[in-house]
Amino acid sequence: MGLYLARRLLAMLGVVWAMSVLIFGIIHILPGNVAYAILGEYATPQAVAILEDRLGLHDPLPLQYWHWFSALLHGDLGRSLVMDRPAGPLIFEALGHSAILAGSSFLLVAVFGILLGVHAATHRGTAVDRALTLMQLGFIAIPDFFWAILLILIFAAWLHWLPATGYAPLDGGDLLAWLSHLVLPVFVLSIGLIAHVSRLTRSSMLEALESRYVLAARAKGLPARLVLGRHALPNALLPTITILAIDAGLLIGGVVVVETVFAYPGLGRLLIFAIDHHDLPLLQAGMMVVTTIYALANLIADLGYALLDPRIRVGAHA
Amino acid sequence: MAEAAAPILAVEGLSVSYATPYARLFALDDVSLAIPRGEVLGLVGESGSGKSTVVLAALGLLGEAASVSARRAEFDGRDLLADAAALRGRRIGVVFQDPAAALNPALSIGLQVAEPMLTHQRLPRTEAYARAAALLGELGIPRVAEIMQAYPHQLSGGMKQRAMIAAALAGEPELLLLDEPTTALDVTIEAQILDLLEGLRASRGLSMLLVSHNLGIVGRLCDRLTILYAGRTVETGPTAAVLAAPRHPYTRGLLGALPRPEARARRLLPIPGALPDLRSPDPGCNFRPRCPLAVAACAEPQAMLPAGPARRVRCHRHALVADLPLLLDPVAPSRPSAAAPLVDVEGLTRGFGGPTLLRRRRTRVHAVDGMSLTIHPGEIVGLVGESGCGKSTLARLILRLLPADGGRLAFDGRPVPERPDLAFRRRAQIVLQNPDGSLNPRRTVEAILRRPLAHFGLAQGAAAGREVARLLELVRLPEAYRSRYPHQLSGGEKQRVGIARALATRPDFLVCDEAVSALDVSVQAAVLNLLQDLRDTLGVAYLFISHDIGVIAHIADTIVVMYRGHAMERGPADAVLHAPHHPYTEALLSAGAARQMRLVDTAPSGAGCRFAGACPRKLGAICDIEPPPWREASAGHRILCHIPVEQLARPGLRPGPAGARRPQTP
Amino acid sequence: MSAAALRHAASRRLPGTLLLGGAVLGAIAVLAVIGPWITPYNPTAFAVRFRFVPPGAAHWFGTDEFGRDVLSRVLAGAHYSLVMGFGATALSLAVGVPLGLLAAFHRGLVEEAIMRPIDLLISLPPVLLGLLILAVTPPNLFKTVLAVGIVYVPILARLSRAVALGLLEEDFVTAARARGEGAVSILAREILPNAWPPIIVESGLRVTFAILLGSSLSFLGLGPQPPGSEWGLMIAESREFLDRAPWIGLAPGFSLCVLLIAVNLFGEGLREFLDPRLRGRAGG
Repeated sequence: MGLYLARRLLAMLGVVWAMSVLIFGIIHILPGNVAYAILGEYATPQAVAILEDRLGLHDPLPLQYWHWFSALLHGDLGRSLVMDRPAGPLIFEALGHSAILAGSSFLLVAVFGILLGVHAATHRGTAVDRALTLMQLGFIAIPDFFWAILLILIFAAWLHWLPATGYAPLDGGDLLAWLSHLVLPVFVLSIGLIAHVSRLTRSSMLEALESRYVLAARAKGLPARLVLGRHALPNALLPTITILAIDAGLLIGGVVVVETVFAYPGLGRLLIFAIDHHDLPLLQAGMMVVTTIYALANLIADLGYALLDPRIRVGAHA
Repeated sequence: MAEAAAPILAVEGLSVSYATPYARLFALDDVSLAIPRGEVLGLVGESGSGKSTVVLAALGLLGEAASVSARRAEFDGRDLLADAAALRGRRIGVVFQDPAAALNPALSIGLQVAEPMLTHQRLPRTEAYARAAALLGELGIPRVAEIMQAYPHQLSGGMKQRAMIAAALAGEPELLLLDEPTTALDVTIEAQILDLLEGLRASRGLSMLLVSHNLGIVGRLCDRLTILYAGRTVETGPTAAVLAAPRHPYTRGLLGALPRPEARARRLLPIPGALPDLRSPDPGCNFRPRCPLAVAACAEPQAMLPAGPARRVRCHRHALVADLPLLLDPVAPSRPSAAAPLVDVEGLTRGFGGPTLLRRRRTRVHAVDGMSLTIHPGEIVGLVGESGCGKSTLARLILRLLPADGGRLAFDGRPVPERPDLAFRRRAQIVLQNPDGSLNPRRTVEAILRRPLAHFGLAQGAAAGREVARLLELVRLPEAYRSRYPHQLSGGEKQRVGIARALATRPDFLVCDEAVSALDVSVQAAVLNLLQDLRDTLGVAYLFISHDIGVIAHIADTIVVMYRGHAMERGPADAVLHAPHHPYTEALLSAGAARQMRLVDTAPSGAGCRFAGACPRKLGAICDIEPPPWREASAGHRILCHIPVEQLARPGLRPGPAGARRPQTP
Repeated sequence: MSAAALRHAASRRLPGTLLLGGAVLGAIAVLAVIGPWITPYNPTAFAVRFRFVPPGAAHWFGTDEFGRDVLSRVLAGAHYSLVMGFGATALSLAVGVPLGLLAAFHRGLVEEAIMRPIDLLISLPPVLLGLLILAVTPPNLFKTVLAVGIVYVPILARLSRAVALGLLEEDFVTAARARGEGAVSILAREILPNAWPPIIVESGLRVTFAILLGSSLSFLGLGPQPPGSEWGLMIAESREFLDRAPWIGLAPGFSLCVLLIAVNLFGEGLREFLDPRLRGRAGG
């Protein structure tokens, strides 16, 4: 297990490093003059020259990359061009807001996805089972930004129950205001993924229930509770963990969209801001942070998988 | 026989059917069986007979899709259909076929064995685990403390099945249901498991239902047999009597189709035809389309008729069955070929794994390690060995489908290069094991057979069409099968198309890699006969690979016994099948020797004998340290062993454990 | 696939989902093609006097903040989603499947060279990868299709590799090798005829996700640019007027839902039709 952990950690660091090359590469190699992209096509040559100098764009690309990456290693995320402030604090403040949004959504997805999936598998063809099928269709057929529009329309514009957009800081002491700004975004982020996770948990649970080892457990005369909880569930959850890791990626994408719709001051909105204003240093830094978080999520999923699966946890020989 | 004692399990008129999208499927139709307390009943049938359905019905685990009815189904006087949930795991234990699938991969062995004691007897955890450990010890599992904490993937197949048996016994049942308990295991392990069951029966007074397709193993353990055909019981009676003088044509057919080392020179008697459609059961005898004795009256519903002491048979012509031949005429002994060898293999070696860029210290495991053999034109060389011995790898090395690490390969006197030319490919062909995977499911039989003709430029257009007809005739398939797709063929028919495809190039040499292993006995016999005939008429040489020494003994002229990548014994079939034997060959041939093989079979470390770790006749340290010599037992018969030939000629059997009996095969 | 096999496949009953999804999808495709000729108004012409007209007889879906007819704009924008969905999927098929097959066939260095970068692409969340590709250069429809296509290349490459690896283990491929058949012949005759059903099934699902991702990127401003009427973009532009004129966003939104349901039904139907595990075993 220790060796496995070390290997996974090393692989994760490798991925993060490779992503830094990819992110840097895509931004700098794609056609288009970076300085003109930032300043607009009517910029004066002097302004372009000054900016290129400031960004170190005259250096060869590998050297530029090295400057950027070594700064990253020292915890320096660079400077936002547009806001003319260090990118680090900007990003981490936004990240804090996003973490609340994404974290609570992910928790809901994991808990309700698994519970509903297991329930549907053990109650095939019942109302809950069929409702989940419909939910899945809703997830596929209604894009999250349209979900957001519909909910704002209903709960903010018509019913006036909840604020349409924005964010209320918690340090004001107004817990209710803080919560009310979270309800709709969290709902939009989690509803589709809950359907997704529960459908897949349902099918992996059904597969486990039809396995020989569950048949053997029932033949031992074990009560249904033990057959489900001890024999079927640990095996059925293995694919669910993989799905949760994939959904963490979908969730990150969803956060970008949802923060934009709800004008929520998170990392996703910051990234879109950076793109809209051609703030490339901010974009690079933000992308690196998101990538690292996603890599960490995958690492955690791998470890969870290993914990549940003795074939990975303990070696091959007794 | 304790016929008078009240049976522990009594089932009469058990019927099970399923609703399928198109029609109702009748899996069991009026099945009756009884197990007297303390006895072992063998339930024998081929695939599709419904034998596993009987087990699941007795446990009440058939699920909601099945409708179950019975005139009577009692366990020790209790209604089995109503009380199954209360009986299973407590008074009825069960062991399923494939222990790799039946043990939960996520739970430790200790928990899985202790589980019934925790739930049923409500023992405290420490006591339940202590009892589980004791039980595992009783079943011959070494290093119990370690195994208790291990997970299924860490155990060998034989150990897994012992753990399964321990879990089944943990609830202290009176009846043990064994559903093909040894089918997924090697023969030597099978012998040990059967031995174990025999001992348990004696020490615990267990009653057992042993479900199997294998007449050889039920003979060893069972007091009585019930034969199942397509959902109906066709014959029941004392084991020895049924095997010695079967009274139902189907039982007779099963025995005639079974290849046996003792009768290797006789031709097998396959059962023609295929299993009836279970969706429209024949109200009369459902074996009648395949029966040599069928007459008009067989269309009437048949009852189980008394046929001798404690015997019943579902056939109104059972008196005539005794006159049916069990085996056909002896086959002409093959003439030993004096010609130069067609295939000459020397020191062929192939490993897997090993150091890579990232993992430099991984060692390469040798699947085939210095194999040598020669095959003469028209000769059938049988290669026998258990799973993982490297026999399939060897087949692929000889056909140059895998690159070898070392060794020489010559075909028809010329060395075969690493990338052989088309001439070699045309002359050396292969027939593979799995009937479901050996044919491309998207092509018709005709397209499958035309491909080699086109590829080697052997025939085109109408000539190719005639050639396809010739091939179909050669493998005894009707011409109309041309336009069929693989999924429209039975297992045996698919295997015939596979043989026809290999023969399309008119090869001189055919590798048959477990070519009949996936087939039921009755079908297997027909394919074996076909292969034998093809050799006789076409003069093709075979390398015939199988884990089943019965099949090898039946078809081979020369036998090579393989263990862990290397030959242990080789020679003319008659010599190899009779003493002196290599200790491993002895274990393959005799259950008695196999049960003395050692369970702990760690990989050999030094230069010594590969079999030393498991050998029941191990001499001592010499076997571990020094490579054994090839000893010449008779002309062409050689044994790789430290033990001198004279000693090998005497059986190495120690007296068996109490209650063990000699195998009884008819 | 031979003619006989096609006949065999055609003799199976087509699932209702496939027919229904196909019919709706076909109707949308027809509307997208003939849209420019049947729009009641010019979809980009401003009509300041008719701003924010609610849905009614003259303007079925109402008008927007510039007085443009929303129905005309929805019709004129239908082709964007279809091009993004099917174009991007075709792109990922064209790149992913050959890569996957190649990786399965040439184990070792070639496999590593193909699969490592693909693993890397997968380790970026889909929307982020799209953002990254579209971030620097001015966005347009073609680039969105390209970005979405690239996002789904790894999934199809991994799937085709897995399917091909499974098939390469099959005995009929061993038999082909024993005949000395070349790599191309084995791929074309033995692998592809058996590999395409799962790949097509996955592609059906991919179209749905490609439309979703494409419209999300458009919504974020990284797709077709105004005055184009891509549905995601229309919804984004409508946000400001949500309480005053909700129809501006609802019309393209519900159109998108209908399209996604149709594509999804069609994909599910394809799966039912092609997936051997869901198919009845009635042979003959």
